[in-house]
Amino acid sequence: MSFFTLILKNLLRRRLRSVLTIVGIAVGIGAVVALTSLAWGFERSWAATYKARGTDLIVTKASIRSAMPAAFPQEWRAKVEALPYVKEAPGALAEVSGVEEIPSMVLLGWEPGNFLWDHLKLEQGHWPDRDAKRVVALGIVAAEMLGKKVGDTIQIEAGTCTVGAIFNSSALAENGGIVVPLAELQALMDRPGMVNFFNVRLVPGTTPEQVQELRALVKQRLPGLTAFSAGEVAQANAGIQIAKAMSLATSVIALFVGAVGVMNTILMSVFERLHEIGVLLAIGWRRSRIRWMILCESLVLSLAGGLVGSGLGVAAVRLLQISPWIRGKLEGQVDLPLLGIAMLIALGLGALGGLYPAWVGSRMSPVTALRHE
Amino acid sequence: MNPVLIEARNVRRSYDGGTVQALRGVDLTIRRGEFVAIMGPSGSGKSTLLNVLGALDPEVEGVITIDGADLRHLPDPERFRARVLGFVFQSFHLLPTLTALENVQIPMFEMPWPAAQRRARAAGLLETLGLGARLNHLPAKLSGGERQRVAIARSLANEPQVLLADEPTGNLDSVSAQKIMEVLHAIHARGDRTIIVVTHDPQVAAEAQRTLHMRDGRIVDGPPGAAGEAA
Repeated sequence: MSFFTLILKNLLRRRLRSVLTIVGIAVGIGAVVALTSLAWGFERSWAATYKARGTDLIVTKASIRSAMPAAFPQEWRAKVEALPYVKEAPGALAEVSGVEEIPSMVLLGWEPGNFLWDHLKLEQGHWPDRDAKRVVALGIVAAEMLGKKVGDTIQIEAGTCTVGAIFNSSALAENGGIVVPLAELQALMDRPGMVNFFNVRLVPGTTPEQVQELRALVKQRLPGLTAFSAGEVAQANAGIQIAKAMSLATSVIALFVGAVGVMNTILMSVFERLHEIGVLLAIGWRRSRIRWMILCESLVLSLAGGLVGSGLGVAAVRLLQISPWIRGKLEGQVDLPLLGIAMLIALGLGALGGLYPAWVGSRMSPVTALRHE
Repeated sequence: MNPVLIEARNVRRSYDGGTVQALRGVDLTIRRGEFVAIMGPSGSGKSTLLNVLGALDPEVEGVITIDGADLRHLPDPERFRARVLGFVFQSFHLLPTLTALENVQIPMFEMPWPAAQRRARAAGLLETLGLGARLNHLPAKLSGGERQRVAIARSLANEPQVLLADEPTGNLDSVSAQKIMEVLHAIHARGDRTIIVVTHDPQVAAEAQRTLHMRDGRIVDGPPGAAGEAA
């Protein structure tokens, strides 16, 4: 018989209790995996979106208080384009709004004909031209979710628009979104002349040092605006920050609740086995071995909870991705580092939950423990 | 080699701040290979003395040595118990979720033996005690006598010098009790192990080479050399 066999037999003695503890840990770890996966996926999706557009820098409001950055005048474009190393800096308005039956959808306002459209692959119809009124382009996932085809009408806020094109993008967030000519979106959202991004393309050959110089100039000459790289703007996004904060908070709560659950289970198990622990001490088991045995029981429970929870988390992400709230907007990022973090959290709560029972179990006098029947 | 294995001088043990005196100055000498019974009424201090001799109770006054080791100043009492002492309890105290074979292996975790050696040794001990057909039975599936034989096999697992048995037949019918005594005799007959048995049963005590009688926390008399020899 190995030491591990003994630990398993101890845990299997109260199968239901062990299973319920594993389920408790699994729910916590599953929440951690799902939320963190979505937060990371959200961030990666936006970073990929900016990269796909060929944007070198994004100039936006540094102080972000909502899911989308605060709007500022479109006419500041001239100031940005006057800065050194800037080739062009078209403005864009991005909003999140309910569209027909879909509760939240990304709406992108771009000036027709600028480089932001270049990476989109037209699947059906024609791109809206500069003079088009109330004509929009749907991402392929958005078209499927809304059940629209070219020529159909679509209700956006108070306006009725026509679907002029359906496109495919390498960026998931765009595939689930609607691209509207900038002036049209400004009118629909009641934000005339306003944008919340400048998508900056740099002069070819601009060095990293020159980029730093440009970023400093943006801060200096356009108070309130900051130039971010594609990855940075994703990180600075309030939605992403909220998602990350939620995943962190969930992790902390899962760790705490899980540790208390494990501690309760192991402590009950120790108190039920005081007599047996007394026997083990009497026949010469070292106190450190008793401690290790109890701690291992806790770690095995949490490891099992971590494995089940990781599976639950991945399943939850898959389910969320096909839900109307999330579908087409982001995909969860489930990878080895995330699963590694989940297992570390599980083991951490196992260690936390097991330490006190292990201490209680190992410090008993064998004579006192033997009296417990 | 010193023929005296266990020596106790003026051993005292009290509880509840001294209001209950379980041992009131016990003097005792036990030779290597001796089979000693300790008798006495309930509350006379027999089990307390056995706990003290078994290095289970550090809060004791007086001097107790086993093979020269002072029990009150053992650097590692658990290691000492694992290698020098074997315990047999009245209620067997087997772990209920482990088979007979696994129960006997439990003390061996403290020895530097690989799992295969532990298993083979436990199986050998159980076969010697007539339990070869019961290796994989849980304690609940064994009779009282069989359980006690498993407990004896467990007590012998690490080849201890001293076997301490607390009422080993107390929970058994007369036939099973007789078998256990035969087992203890067989162990003693090999001549290399000292056996101390605490018992109420005069028939069990009669099997020992020497019987010590206790009353009110003292050894009060005994056949050749008991209280007298101890003093």
